[in-house]
Amino acid sequence: MTEQTIVNIGPSHPSTHGVCRVIVTLDGETVVHAEPVIGHLHRGIEKMAENRTYLQVVPLTDRLDYVGSMYANWAYCRSVERLAGIRVPERAEYIRVIVCELQRIASHMMGIGSTGADTGATSAFMYTFAQRDHVVELFEALCGARLTYNYVRPGGVSMDLPDGWVEQCRAFTAQHPPVMMEIDRLLFGNVIARARLKGVGVLTPEDAVGWGTSGPVARGSGVDWDLRRDDPYSVYPRFDFQIPLGEIGDCYDRARVRLWECVESCKIINQALDQIEPGSVHAEGLPRLLAPRPGDAYDHIESARGSLGVYLVSDGSPRPYRMKVRSPAFCNLAVLPLLAEGHTLSDLIVIIGSLDPVFGEVDR
Amino acid sequence: MTLLWGFLWGVAGMTVIAVGAILGVWWERKVAARIQMRYGPQQIGPFGSLQMIADVPKLLFKEDIIPDSADKPIFKYAPLFVFGPIAVSMVVIPFSAGWAPLNTSVGVLFFLAVPSIEVIAILLSAWASHNTLSTLGGIRATAQMISYEVPRSLAVLAIVLLAGSLRPLDVVDAWRWWWLPLTFIAFLIYFIASIAEMNRGPFDIPEAESELVAGYFADYSGMRWASFMMAEYGGMISASLFGAALFLGAGWPFTGALGVVALIVKTIALMTIVMWVKWTLPRLRQDHLMSFCWKVLTPLALVQLVIVGVVLPWL
Amino acid sequence: MAVERDDIITPASVSNEYSPGVKGFLEGVRSLVTGLGITARISTEKPVTICYPAEKWSVSPRWRGALRLRGVLGRDEIPLIRDASELYNSVIEDLYKAERLPPCVGNCPANVDARGQGFLIAEDRIPEAYELVRDRNILPGVLGRICHHPCESACRRNYYDEPVAIRPLHRFAYEEFQKVAAERLKPLPVTQDKSVAVVGSGPSGLTAAYDLMKHGYRVVMYEREERPGGALGSGVPAYRLPRDILYKEIDGLVALGIELHCGVEIGKSMPLAALQREHAAVLLAVGLQESRILPIPGHDAEGVAGALEFLWAANNKGETGVRGKKVFVIGGGNVAVDVARCALRTGATEVRLASLESTEELPAHPWEIEEALDEGVIATCSVGPEEVLTQDGHVTGMRVRECLSVFDETGRFSPKFGTGLSDFECDVVVFSIGQAAKLDTLIAGTELLVSGRGQLVVDGTHFTTSVDGVFACGEVVTGPGSAIGSIATGHEVATSMIRYLQGNSLTDNRTPRPVPVYSKYAVADVTGVERSRLRSVMPMSRPEDRAKDFRPVELGLTHQEAMIEAARCLRCQSEICVGCTFCARTCPDYAIQVERVDEPGGRCLTRYDLDLTKCAFCGLCAEQCPTNALTHTGQYELSFFHRDLMVFDKGEMLRSGEGTRATGRDGITPPRCSAPKRREL
Repeated sequence: MTEQTIVNIGPSHPSTHGVCRVIVTLDGETVVHAEPVIGHLHRGIEKMAENRTYLQVVPLTDRLDYVGSMYANWAYCRSVERLAGIRVPERAEYIRVIVCELQRIASHMMGIGSTGADTGATSAFMYTFAQRDHVVELFEALCGARLTYNYVRPGGVSMDLPDGWVEQCRAFTAQHPPVMMEIDRLLFGNVIARARLKGVGVLTPEDAVGWGTSGPVARGSGVDWDLRRDDPYSVYPRFDFQIPLGEIGDCYDRARVRLWECVESCKIINQALDQIEPGSVHAEGLPRLLAPRPGDAYDHIESARGSLGVYLVSDGSPRPYRMKVRSPAFCNLAVLPLLAEGHTLSDLIVIIGSLDPVFGEVDR
Repeated sequence: MTLLWGFLWGVAGMTVIAVGAILGVWWERKVAARIQMRYGPQQIGPFGSLQMIADVPKLLFKEDIIPDSADKPIFKYAPLFVFGPIAVSMVVIPFSAGWAPLNTSVGVLFFLAVPSIEVIAILLSAWASHNTLSTLGGIRATAQMISYEVPRSLAVLAIVLLAGSLRPLDVVDAWRWWWLPLTFIAFLIYFIASIAEMNRGPFDIPEAESELVAGYFADYSGMRWASFMMAEYGGMISASLFGAALFLGAGWPFTGALGVVALIVKTIALMTIVMWVKWTLPRLRQDHLMSFCWKVLTPLALVQLVIVGVVLPWL
Repeated sequence: MAVERDDIITPASVSNEYSPGVKGFLEGVRSLVTGLGITARISTEKPVTICYPAEKWSVSPRWRGALRLRGVLGRDEIPLIRDASELYNSVIEDLYKAERLPPCVGNCPANVDARGQGFLIAEDRIPEAYELVRDRNILPGVLGRICHHPCESACRRNYYDEPVAIRPLHRFAYEEFQKVAAERLKPLPVTQDKSVAVVGSGPSGLTAAYDLMKHGYRVVMYEREERPGGALGSGVPAYRLPRDILYKEIDGLVALGIELHCGVEIGKSMPLAALQREHAAVLLAVGLQESRILPIPGHDAEGVAGALEFLWAANNKGETGVRGKKVFVIGGGNVAVDVARCALRTGATEVRLASLESTEELPAHPWEIEEALDEGVIATCSVGPEEVLTQDGHVTGMRVRECLSVFDETGRFSPKFGTGLSDFECDVVVFSIGQAAKLDTLIAGTELLVSGRGQLVVDGTHFTTSVDGVFACGEVVTGPGSAIGSIATGHEVATSMIRYLQGNSLTDNRTPRPVPVYSKYAVADVTGVERSRLRSVMPMSRPEDRAKDFRPVELGLTHQEAMIEAARCLRCQSEICVGCTFCARTCPDYAIQVERVDEPGGRCLTRYDLDLTKCAFCGLCAEQCPTNALTHTGQYELSFFHRDLMVFDKGEMLRSGEGTRATGRDGITPPRCSAPKRREL
């Protein structure tokens, strides 16, 4: 045993996916201990929500998971709707499903791409980002923003689909899976990438459940749990889709689960586009200032990172009394010390990437 | 007299490397961009070719930041010793049949040995930075570069064995086209080991952008940082030139000036392949790198030597 | 791209392993070559990026870029909708299609420009406001008291706090107009040689007469009663509409040139055929005169009355013979509520209102029911009349049966009764379940057709009858309805008659009356809203006092209240910022500051500051702007050379053209760029 070195990874570092700081104790190149330090991106969103009306909170939720704004919008709106007893028109539910599956693709493009970037395959990152850009352009046509959409609202969505959007969306879902298969061959079939990802950071199913992980992190370990199927919400029961699972629980499985989820998302979007019917996209006559009856509500959805829940307490005023976000990225990041121990510094980077944390959501 | 010539040729080599690095950076940016579905530099000059002309003054005028805790003299001068050996090694390259700047009898050995001094400079700069990430990068670089010397030298040895001389011009003279299939394994090993020597992807572990930020030169800025970049591109240029000269027959099938053009074309092709590989493949891990060197490349190089040795008496 | 979409099937497990041994090694080597092949292929394709800044993407039309104001109060005038009747429908339709129609105008059957009224009143141009309203709503002073104001139900302000008091403003405008009536009411010139006869002086007849007079036709109007007004005079209780107001406003119309002949009953005094000979066209706007009475046991007993007869007696004689008696009113509509309240005022000791519908479904307007309950009317809901209990031919009580539901699943009227019966003691039963027309004498000797329901048969959109040159409008055509609904038919029939008189086709280029129906609003939460921003409360007389006589219930707004109320109007869809501050209130980042001066006649926006350092481009402000004045532009280059430039003031918000003051060299001139380009998927 040699003298141990303490290396600070972050908070400003190319591969910490935001402002994560990890204090790594190294023995040579081997990680003895890794301690994630969170809070560098803490903006007090939950506290800020207490001083904003229910509608004004929606733009705040955009900034929770900034690569998956639609999810935070939706989870929050579901809680508000449950709290205020608002019925959402069916078309709005379909649009929500479509945009959220597109958002899943956009978010996973980021996740898969950064797996590539972390291992040095920069081009794979660019290819997935080109795909992400198509999604973002669809969102731009839909709501006028590319990152912070503020699109899903209590009672529905803010605007109906623009003309020609459905065709553009279909064009995207038609070209997306083949591109994904190419990324699969380029990255997940590559012998070097496999050497980097396989067997690194193995998370056992027991640990995955025990540490409260969800989403691709848990599914990569073979935990067959997806809220879209196991606690079906919105119109998800009407779709036929599969949930990809890993076996080993290493970085490779976690990353490749994301790739196949994108393919499945395309299938869901196609089904939703087939089923969607004209109609209203927002609950009729909702006042500008919502003031739900005193009480509380919790609702969760399956975001790109796992089960994202929002808990709201109302005291009858037009502002929430308390908002609490159950953030999947936070829970997923918690297993980092467990996974990193005994691996090299290079592997630590890959492990952080495979957990795909977004610090807007971790720190809130 | 020889010393003076050597000095002059060294200066010329430096100039060639500096200009080559400028063009190389532009070419790499274009290649990387097209691989990544981008245009790359396009604003300055035709196809952005004057982009680096704009970048060099920028680098010259940038603030030269020296960390407080750095070992200042070493920190300041280490970049020179990184760049210098690469430039010096250029003098023994046979550009065409019968013409090399410095026609020494131990040219091949010189080319293999002198750039290795770079390792010391890299380790010094990393250590002088007084930065954990730099130190890690420096140590990684040392281990990697020293290890890859072995298969690289063994691969060149196969050619030397065939030519029967360490004088590069002799090798070029003796070269026949059927050497290429015969020494193809050696060429591959030389190529791969050279990539590792110049710390380029997929062997860019010492500077691993996503892990160590920039490795041993993480704390450098301005022109000192540019020296490292020039060393990297210089290494790429010289290794490609040397590989093209020794393994691909220098100016073959032409001689004279046309031969030099042929050599440059071959060099550019080799450099493009280096870039193509870098922008395609993921980075190896440290232990994979070592086991690849000692368990795959070195035995293969020995096998190549054996093959050459078996064939040699029949020639 | 060789792989087809359908072939891509998610594997059971994503962790695919290489084959063991040499095969696996070869697979590894092949994967390197595959990777190099993929990148090589992609490098030959066209890049997906562009040459910035020579090329730029065109942003989507919904792009949330820098904000700007289209217009601002003080600089721009609110557009008024004051087109001739025959063009009005198409104007409304065009506005609706362009999303520039205010909801109040859209929801009004006669499309009265309530927005223009609010603007003119707030600008202290009140007589103009009266005339603007009168163009579409012939009796603003009267309707300002009795209208069921669908405009207010659609008012955008419902969304935020409380609707603008549009109806009281009609009344206010009328009262102010009376001060200048003498000089502004001049007879309209008669320019055409043809004349028109109008039978009936109710709202629809007056409307048609006014429209025809504006085209220069001579209009002769016949009224059966001694005083004009039709149902307004006979049916509307005097506590809601004092008769002098009604007659005075109709006198104003007479001053414009209507030749009014009262006490002439067409069909009795002179035959309809005589009118047809004398005039180029005849309009029948006679309304409904008879109450319907259910043929249940005891309906012919003494003490059973119809609503119209009851109201006529209450309004014209002030006495209905119910003093000291218990009154049982059958029906849940507005007329039933009127009957109940009149019964109270004429001395009934107890008034019970029995309706089929449940409390929530009552067809009468909620505010009317509320006022009636305040005055002491007892409501008995969800019961159907079973039998009038009689003794010696006199009413002694009423037996009702419980009603389970009134409408079936499809919303059709189909009452379902239970078994429960209950008796109520009463002396007078008033049926208020609808009215019917009495046309026998009027149409005797003509070929006019009458429908099964006793109404005149007309072409639904043109209001032509089966006889050439005879038109009909109002409730005699549509059945019982609202006054403003009758007025709307008056405009339609006038358009038809003008086309008929000019010999033009009735159908060509004609837009049917559009009534875009606006959704109902939930009651907005007004906690925390400043008192000054809420609706002016209409002063009312005390319930215990007003229930005893026919004094007016609503007392009217004062001049100051009315000015404030008119300033509350948001000028929806006018694309001119009125400084309502709802953008500032909806901004989650408090980036907007708005100030306005409410000087009557000089209202203007003095300050509109948008602080881009705070703005998050969430779009909430522009999305809810009631006027559509605040909009996002496609401008996305927003870097400044000085921090002060980041606050957009009013002048900057009103900028025109493509750029902001963001990126120019001097901080003011916008940069140039070539035509945008769009990426193909």
